[in-house]
Amino acid sequence: MSVILKTEDLFKDFSGLEIIRGITMEVYEGERHMIIGPNGAGKSTLFNLITGLYKPSKGRIHFLKRDITRLPLHKIARLGISRSFQIINVFPMMTVFENVRNAVVSKVHRRFNWVSILSKDREIERETRRVLDILSLQDVRDDLASELSYGRQRHLELALTVAQDPVLIMLDEPTAGLNSEESRSAVRLIRQVTEGKTLVMVEHDMDVVFGLADRITVLNDGTVLACGSPEEIRKNEEVRKAYLERRTGAAAGS
Amino acid sequence: MTRKVYWLAWGIVIVLLLSIPYLLPEIWIHLAVEALVFSLFAVSFNLLFGYSGLLPFGHGALFGIGAYVVALIFRNYPDASLLLTFLLAALGGVIAAAVIGVFSVRLKGAYFALITTAFQMFAFAVAEKWRGVTNGDDGVTFSRPDLHLGGLAILSMKSIHHVYYLTLVIVGISILACWLFLKTPLGNSAVAVREKDVRASFLGYNVFLTRYTLFVISGIFAGLAGGLFAFFEEFVAASCLNLDTSMSVVFMTVIGGPANFLGPVLGSVVYIIFQDWISSLTRHWWILMGCFFVIVVLYLQSGLISLIKPEKVRLWLDRRRG
Repeated sequence: MSVILKTEDLFKDFSGLEIIRGITMEVYEGERHMIIGPNGAGKSTLFNLITGLYKPSKGRIHFLKRDITRLPLHKIARLGISRSFQIINVFPMMTVFENVRNAVVSKVHRRFNWVSILSKDREIERETRRVLDILSLQDVRDDLASELSYGRQRHLELALTVAQDPVLIMLDEPTAGLNSEESRSAVRLIRQVTEGKTLVMVEHDMDVVFGLADRITVLNDGTVLACGSPEEIRKNEEVRKAYLERRTGAAAGS
Repeated sequence: MTRKVYWLAWGIVIVLLLSIPYLLPEIWIHLAVEALVFSLFAVSFNLLFGYSGLLPFGHGALFGIGAYVVALIFRNYPDASLLLTFLLAALGGVIAAAVIGVFSVRLKGAYFALITTAFQMFAFAVAEKWRGVTNGDDGVTFSRPDLHLGGLAILSMKSIHHVYYLTLVIVGISILACWLFLKTPLGNSAVAVREKDVRASFLGYNVFLTRYTLFVISGIFAGLAGGLFAFFEEFVAASCLNLDTSMSVVFMTVIGGPANFLGPVLGSVVYIIFQDWISSLTRHWWILMGCFFVIVVLYLQSGLISLIKPEKVRLWLDRRRG
């Protein structure tokens, strides 16, 4: 299997406070790679480094054999990395249809087209409808994104992420705030839309993690504690001590 | 049915616009020309404010440069082609916007507003001090050349009626062009970037370039509006480039309603009429205008247009209120 994404000795500090302290990891093409770790382990920061929101203080990031460390956000996105956000990040005052269409316009590279009328573009409309269908958002297509239920907004977030037809999909806690029923359906959906693609995902819910993962990377204190198949992670003593048991303990205690 | 009503309404508006010179006394035709010119200026301003989420406090710089282009060309070449001169005014606006934009569009919010103000002050200082060219406060006077319609006819621009029709056609086409532009994918990109710039970047949108392009396009119409204004007045002076110009376009747009495409047009018309009316009552008309502005901002944030088309309002301004 070929390596699609690679971080080399990544460091990131915020005014002296080191959040990421030397992360080297590889993501293989076509795998579903979960990132777990206790709060403050640096999961979201790592996410933001890979997708370009933050720039690392040291280290390099390679995607498809290209150095993307210093590329601006939109260039990284155009190379085929697309992400969702932990806190819903959609276009609130646009309809669901318009939201998804924004992603589709970008995918077909018509962002700067100024000689055609967008609403008359059949190709964009067809593609937008297709994505809405996959995420069962057809019935709310004309509602404002901000007026959707929370669960539906999560679907829309996912729709924006997959509508770009990316190579690598990065999901930041896609089941955050969902009840167990919604969470199960979200997992089904994620499985469906990431078919044939590479997925990197931060997740807290261990059922979701072990249900989806081909491989798991465990972060702790800004470093990689362990990386391997779900079985290996489950058996890893250090991980149990640092993370899994602490969580179960906390759950039992509460 | 609604479609029919829609076209009927537009038909009536167009007939009314065409018959203004016959219906109203001459003093009102002057106001109508001014309202047309400022409608275009306000629409160009609103491409930034309403649709791109940028609030320039120095948009008058682009307007003033367009005005100077027209005045200086006709001053020095009284026989210059009218339409070509207006194109050059638009080009002047574009070049000014391209330069100002490089520095200002990177910034957001108050900083963007302030740096555009700084460029405006700079343009004002140049116009005031470079007396050899601009004649400073005394300004440049010229007389309007006639419009040659390809050898078929010559329209004398001594007649305010003809000035009105020429302005109506140019403003009409320009506003229509802006309206169509906003329906293109690029127009949509501007709104997407306004709504959530970070999200848009992650979808592959180049936030800076999108905003910059809108700024430059806005410059076309601001420059053109300025050119039309100078043409109408047959005069331009440094005062055309001062902050009053920039502030009045902010007022017009906010009064009319930035959330609707035609809000700035309504705002300009109301502003021009209101200004004419109260300035005949008192020399301190700015105070009353200020009060009017405050009332609109406090109680009618979607502008006067929302009294006519309340359902059309979907803007970042409203989100802040909610």
